[in-house]
Amino acid sequence: MISFINVNYTFKTKDAGIKNVNLNINEGDFVFLTGPSGSGKTTLLRLIYMDLLPEKGNVLVQNYSSNKIKNRQIPYLRRKVGMIFQDFRLLPDRSVFQNVAISLYAAHYKLNQIKKKVYSILNQVELGHRVHFKPHQLSGGEKQRVAIARALVKEPIVLLADEPTGNLDPRASIELINLLYKINQQGTAIIVATHNYSLIKRIPNARLVQVENSEIVSVT
Amino acid sequence: MRIFFFLLKEGFRGLVRSKYAGAFSIIIIWISLILVGIGYVGARDMIFAVDNIRSQFDVDIFIHKSANQEEINKFANKLKNMVEIEEVNYISPDSAAKRFHKEFGEDIFDLLEMNPLPPSFTIQLRNIYRNLISIESISRILSKDNIVDEIKYRKKILYLLDKYQRIALSVILLVFASLTLISVILVSNSIKMTIFARRDIISTLKLVGATDNFVKAPFIIEGALQGMIGASLSAGIIYSLFYLLNTQFTSVFDYRAVVSIHFYIFLIIGGSILGISGSTRAIKKFLS
Repeated sequence: MISFINVNYTFKTKDAGIKNVNLNINEGDFVFLTGPSGSGKTTLLRLIYMDLLPEKGNVLVQNYSSNKIKNRQIPYLRRKVGMIFQDFRLLPDRSVFQNVAISLYAAHYKLNQIKKKVYSILNQVELGHRVHFKPHQLSGGEKQRVAIARALVKEPIVLLADEPTGNLDPRASIELINLLYKINQQGTAIIVATHNYSLIKRIPNARLVQVENSEIVSVT
Repeated sequence: MRIFFFLLKEGFRGLVRSKYAGAFSIIIIWISLILVGIGYVGARDMIFAVDNIRSQFDVDIFIHKSANQEEINKFANKLKNMVEIEEVNYISPDSAAKRFHKEFGEDIFDLLEMNPLPPSFTIQLRNIYRNLISIESISRILSKDNIVDEIKYRKKILYLLDKYQRIALSVILLVFASLTLISVILVSNSIKMTIFARRDIISTLKLVGATDNFVKAPFIIEGALQGMIGASLSAGIIYSLFYLLNTQFTSVFDYRAVVSIHFYIFLIIGGSILGISGSTRAIKKFLS
């Protein structure tokens, strides 16, 4: 489903990047990307949603190839890839409903479909009672669940999470990882970039990809 | 349609959120369009007045007295067939003598015991040919005809009219172009500030798979709304100014500004285009 084939990427302004990466991620995988800061975990995620395009090699995401993709096709790829971040990236002046619905507006869904899907996904992440709340009225864990709902509402093939527990307390972190596991059990592949090794143990059969100095040093 | 309403709502929301930057754009468009609108009416009426003056300048073609009626008729037909000429009037020596009597109160036969006045034609040119270059060119062509003795027109006044009209139009065009350019740049910069303040929504929209057009649309709608509001305010001011001029100052100025509803509609469309141009420029730069 996702393949990195001899992928290289270097940033012009700093040393970090990735070198000669080969990696396959299959449907339904739960993958942890671990490694120290600046090792290249976020770069790998950005290459998947084609925020970056490799200098050398090829990244394949379903039918999209980084070597062939055109700029106008990238939004369509991103509708198949969900993303969540450490800082949540929610729109502060919009309600929980609007934050989640924006994904569907961008994909030109009908209004009745939008309502149905948003309410359903918010119930799934246990935020049905917070529909009209603004982000500042939510806890960190709730904010991250809104971000997950926004990513999942478009039914992606894979959910990318970049340090999703970075701003959460241990309890909220555990709740979040349990939620991600539940989502994974329903068939969505999950890739989590994290420093938090304690989380890894909580997912049975998770794959572990260790990144150091811009290279993948081990894959399970 | 649902997407259109969503984007329209986003555009309105952006306008409300942009506050000072939005108000700045509206004021810029407002001031520019007041100047452009008044300038346009002034230029239009100046052209109209100059055209009116030009229409009073006929070209007189004097015919050799030796020309016979057949030659005169042939020449008259030639004049009537020229595209540049709108109206041809033949003045026979007898008619010329009557005119002389009417203008000077004396009979030319009594004064000179003969009629020395030659046959002539008075021609009126079509609007676009009432300038010195065209008149000189037509005059050159006609004077080649053997029966033409002399062609007279108000060369000096036409030269001055052409010269000053050209200067005035150039200045007006330059002012129009400068105001438009300044407005587009200022609106664009103020929308850039708005875009910068809302880079979070742009980056979120791009992450969730919005196309560039979807990201751009609310900003372009916002620009159009700013333009429309600025232009409507300008239309209100211009209407009030002309209303005052036409009702309170008619004794001071011998001028009445006639402005149709179309002018105000075009002004509002123009304002919207100005806003759209500014916002398109800004968002294009930001997305690229």
